Amino acid sequence: MKLGIVKWARTKSPWLVHFNTGACNACDIEVLAALTPRYDLERFGAILRGSPRHGDVLVVTGPVTRQVKDRIIRIHEQMPEPKFVVAVGSCSSSGGVFRGCYNVYPGLDSVVPVDAYIGGCPPKPEAIINGVAALLAKIRGG
Amino acid sequence: MSAPPEKYLAEEIKRVFGDKVLDLKTPRKRRLFVAVSSTDYKEFMKYLAETMRITHISTMTGLDAGGKIEVMPHLFGLGVELTVRTSVPKDNPELDSVTDIYPGAVLYEREVHDLLGVIFKGHPDLSRLILPEEWPEGVYPLRKDYKAQQPEPVRKG
Amino acid sequence: MSKFEVPVGPQHPALKEPESFTFVVDGEHIVEVRPRIGYNHRGIEKAAESRTYIQNLYLMERICGICSVAHTTCYAQNVEYLYEKEIPPRAEYIRVIINELNRIHSHLLWLGVAGHEIGFDTLFMYVWRDREHVMDIIEAITGNRVNYAINTIGGVRRDLTSEATAKARKVLDILEERTKYYRRVAAAEPSLISRVKGIGILKPVDAIRLCAVGPTLRASAVKSDVRKDDPYSTYEEIPFNAVSYDMCDVFSRVLVRVDETLEAISIIRYCLDHLPNGPVRIKLPRNPPAGEAVSKVEAPRGEDVHYVRSDGTERPARYKVRAPTLGNIPAVCDMLTSKADYTVNIGDIPIVLASIDPCFSCTDRAIKFIDSRKQKEWVWSHEQLERYSRRKANR
Repeated sequence: MKLGIVKWARTKSPWLVHFNTGACNACDIEVLAALTPRYDLERFGAILRGSPRHGDVLVVTGPVTRQVKDRIIRIHEQMPEPKFVVAVGSCSSSGGVFRGCYNVYPGLDSVVPVDAYIGGCPPKPEAIINGVAALLAKIRGG
Repeated sequence: MSAPPEKYLAEEIKRVFGDKVLDLKTPRKRRLFVAVSSTDYKEFMKYLAETMRITHISTMTGLDAGGKIEVMPHLFGLGVELTVRTSVPKDNPELDSVTDIYPGAVLYEREVHDLLGVIFKGHPDLSRLILPEEWPEGVYPLRKDYKAQQPEPVRKG
Repeated sequence: MSKFEVPVGPQHPALKEPESFTFVVDGEHIVEVRPRIGYNHRGIEKAAESRTYIQNLYLMERICGICSVAHTTCYAQNVEYLYEKEIPPRAEYIRVIINELNRIHSHLLWLGVAGHEIGFDTLFMYVWRDREHVMDIIEAITGNRVNYAINTIGGVRRDLTSEATAKARKVLDILEERTKYYRRVAAAEPSLISRVKGIGILKPVDAIRLCAVGPTLRASAVKSDVRKDDPYSTYEEIPFNAVSYDMCDVFSRVLVRVDETLEAISIIRYCLDHLPNGPVRIKLPRNPPAGEAVSKVEAPRGEDVHYVRSDGTERPARYKVRAPTLGNIPAVCDMLTSKADYTVNIGDIPIVLASIDPCFSCTDRAIKFIDSRKQKEWVWSHEQLERYSRRKANR
């Protein structure tokens, strides 16, 4: 009922918060490209918002560096429930090409829980949209 | 017919510094590698900046060479990419800072200090540059005896 | 008047990357800048020592996703210097074509982001739509949009097909027309110019003293470009202009980048017209000879320098990278600090920072200026600073 409406509302119009945890920018520019006219993530109602307090979906790029770990945890905590986390790119999925390096965690899920992984180095905008759509399907499916 | 710039600069350096030049080579055009002792280092850098007017410093490389640490500023001027090599003993890694001659070196010396532990005497601020705040003192990742280890996960993935 | 500190970050307004700045302010004016950028430090130089030369190619490409191929070109060249071997001319031309396409994509990307910073989101959307044309050619040639994996040690991994060449020529015509349009807009649109003229001044003497690089340096009347001063690949054979302007402000940097995009289009056309026949790579032995080398390229952001020391094994003894943005940090701190004859306002922060085209993953440094005097402070989010900046502009 109420939860159903909320779920419907969130599925129809997810507000994304984007955070870079030490990425090389490749994934970030493809996330931004997904918002531009050719790919147009906004037709899903997805809007990029700056503040975690208004976000539904945390879109994270980058291998989590030691310096960023506390911030990503804090940002995750600031987001209201229900919240979802998408790891974009190989680095946030597993550490990618930086796995084993002394300043990098082995993947985002070693720091915060992750709901969707979009692999690629970087994933193309189509793959990112596909990943977000799959996440929405997961939310709908409960 | 004038000499190529790296040959010209090599000749000038040899003429002015003579025996203080420990090693010098020009492996290809526009490349010159010179080695001097740490005691002659500052004087040599002053000469390059003030007499030869080489003003651009690209970066500084630090290298763990066993018992000593090599410090190599890379400069560009007169059409030559010039690498100066000097070294300090690992158990007493102190070297004169050149930030008074090359203000652009301020971050590069800090980086070599952070990652290799070289102390640049006279540097305005040798605090942490790239490593996280909680990184332990005295642990220098670019030294050969440091084995890279990824941080412990906060939660099970 | 008492001083406050305004920490900005870590989700920075101008860059979608984590770093922090602390500004010491006196009312509206900035009197001191303390950047702290270590958030992207991944430990690449250490990793390079435990990987082979071929594995390191893929590591180097991911130093920065925007100037990816500049790093691999610099790296491949560096190792080729160790071998003292020349790569085939066709490979050199292909490298130049890809590097210049990369420069176009990077400058257009920046133009869109800068437009967004000033408040012209429409410009951002238009430019990024046009930028997709560049991504198309790059994908047609290399198979990828962002990390191309085109370079190898000894040449390039793929050849140019005639379809890719034909497509490239068509797209270059479109791009040239669009870039000229942006050039006209940049030079004539009053609302844009008022936001960038006279802002973020870097005097030539300071640019040189602080060893700035790239468009930041060239916008302060210093016509220094690695492609001209220390020509690599085939740049010595290719006729082109190094672009420099002398207004020393953000406006100057906009013009430098737009004009460089036009120059890049002309360089690529020249390369396509003069592409030599022949192989695109040579086979080199697994281990380079012992020795050392320094390689430099002009990445979109400026001078990229790599140093290698080989001990004759299959792994480098030392690999050092200094990517361009680190070279511009002292300069941007200078630009953001008020002086006797020139004051910097808080509202200018986003656009001035954006004007050096910072690629903090290239740099990954934390510059900590020790703060001994803590007074009142407040934190603004990314959106708050942007809104503030736009409000100030509309007054």
